[in-house]
Amino acid sequence: MASISFRNVTKIYDGADKPVVPNLNLEIADKEFIILVGPSGCGKSTTLRMIAGLESISSGELYIGDRLVNNVPPKDRDIAMVFQNYALYPHMSVYKNIAFGLTLRNVPKDEIDKRVHEAAKILDLEHLLERKPKALSGGQRQRVALGRAMVRNPAVFLLDEPLSNLDAKLRTSMRSEIARLHRRLDTTFVYVTHDQTEAMTMGDRIVVMKDGLIQQYDTPKVLYDTPCNLFVAGFIGSPQMNFLEATIAAEDGKLFAVLRDTKLEIPDFKCEALKPYIGKEVILGIRPEDFLPVEYRTDTNCLYAKVDFCELLGAETNMYLFVQDKKVIVKMPSYEEHPVEEYIRVAVKADRMHFFDKETEQAICH
Amino acid sequence: MKMKTSRVIILTVVAVLLAAYILFPFALVVLNSFKAQSAIVSNPISTAGASVQQFLQNLNSVVNNKAFVFWHAFGSSTLVTVISLVLLAVFGGMAAWVICRNKTRWSTVIYMVFISSMIIPFQVVMLPLIATFREVGKFVGLGMNGTLPGLIFAYLGFGGAMTVFILTGFIKGIPYELEEAAAIDGCSPEGTFFRIIFPLLKPTIVTVTILNGMWIWNDYLLPSILLGQNNPNKTLPVAVQSFVGSFVKSWDLILTAALLAMIPMIVIFILAQKHIMDGMVQGAIK
Repeated sequence: MASISFRNVTKIYDGADKPVVPNLNLEIADKEFIILVGPSGCGKSTTLRMIAGLESISSGELYIGDRLVNNVPPKDRDIAMVFQNYALYPHMSVYKNIAFGLTLRNVPKDEIDKRVHEAAKILDLEHLLERKPKALSGGQRQRVALGRAMVRNPAVFLLDEPLSNLDAKLRTSMRSEIARLHRRLDTTFVYVTHDQTEAMTMGDRIVVMKDGLIQQYDTPKVLYDTPCNLFVAGFIGSPQMNFLEATIAAEDGKLFAVLRDTKLEIPDFKCEALKPYIGKEVILGIRPEDFLPVEYRTDTNCLYAKVDFCELLGAETNMYLFVQDKKVIVKMPSYEEHPVEEYIRVAVKADRMHFFDKETEQAICH
Repeated sequence: MKMKTSRVIILTVVAVLLAAYILFPFALVVLNSFKAQSAIVSNPISTAGASVQQFLQNLNSVVNNKAFVFWHAFGSSTLVTVISLVLLAVFGGMAAWVICRNKTRWSTVIYMVFISSMIIPFQVVMLPLIATFREVGKFVGLGMNGTLPGLIFAYLGFGGAMTVFILTGFIKGIPYELEEAAAIDGCSPEGTFFRIIFPLLKPTIVTVTILNGMWIWNDYLLPSILLGQNNPNKTLPVAVQSFVGSFVKSWDLILTAALLAMIPMIVIFILAQKHIMDGMVQGAIK
């Protein structure tokens, strides 16, 4: 049983005037894969380090399972951690690095040998066991760091931006490797990243943080489809959601989002929530992938835009447009090509429009 | 290209001259230890009178001299040097680690005290040291003046500053995550030092040990005032002094004994040269 429970946890560093994590309440279920995501300085790493016991807790209570661990040293928390820079012991061989934690816990030699070889087999490190870390590539080092954590059979697995030092290709393969490892070990994983692709693809649930506060805590799909505020909407999704200022107008019993001379019809199921905003300005959010290719473009629900430049990615094209002086990114199939400065019309999937309150930045409807 | 070649030539000439200047006293010692007293006195820079046979005779006189007691002095020097170096490495490493990792006002003050002690010449403190050691000896109930433990204790004090200074620079370059990983793996702070930090300090420790070793082994002034000329446990450099009489100086024996005293350090320096350079470079770029 290794659920994790933060109860009114606050972390304030000595000499700082405000807490880096103020009053955190978070419940992580046993065997869950949780991603802590957010921009630099949002408190995600501090949160992880509090679980590890590497940062003290200024106030509040932290439970791992049923045990209050506020004052429990890291070694007695039954956790293992993978660091961003691997933190492998340079003077030890791969074997000794992986076995180190077990040696300190006086595990019998045969058992250590068995576990190290098992981990090495899973992580494809068997042929590297006698090497020193400096003779390994980045990916191999990261696998050794995973192996060192694995052999201990910890109740909680903590990973602090473990893939950020790897190249893009390796990152993709390691992503699936870590997800596979979670299924295999069947234990609680807490993973910190600022990369939202990692967040979306790996976790059962994602905690989006900003300034030490949880913005939203839900499954990747819910976060993507129904972001609770402007920050989450902008943070989750790549390229990020486009935001345009619009006024809600009523005409013939229908609601429209009016952007100067362009009108976008709002589907009926969103109207109820938007009625209080008639005549007011709101923020309209449209994801780059929620525009329709050229064959679907009609005169209604279209934005008139000037092409800034196109980015061919192979399977698709990212078109950078100007809509009324606002930069808008549109994802289109790769056959869509337009010369720079050409004026085009792009159709919006009306049912995928998101609306946010301009003042509070909270979501109105999706 | 021509400019470059001439620059290389000039630099080479300067280097050779500098090396000759530094090696000249050593060459004098070597040359004259192959000569008899009369030949040295008549012309110390001439090779006339130098022979292997004479050297062996000098060697025999030094090693079997009743006043000099070569092997006893050699034992004292070895004991003092080895124990001082081990303690300096261990305690210096510990002090540097704690100063580096516990950033408080006090750690900064302590570090500054270490650094400032490096700029005070030994000659300034050598006389108060005797009085202080007498008091310390009384306080701890151990004889500090005239004993080898007292001498080792003094070397710990005088060598500590440079050891801590060099090791602190190196420890700053060791990622803190290694210690955090060790803490999660189950290491106590002592375990982290001895299992993780100390092994990583090896190249720098070798450098510091060689530098301290050369100083302690060759040091004359500190053992001469702490142990005294008549101490049976005097170290090699002090023992060489016994060939210096009030009216006669046995240069042949003095120089042969000096050469014998130098040989262990020269051998160690040559063997560990690579590590010294490694340690210097690592400290510099990390």
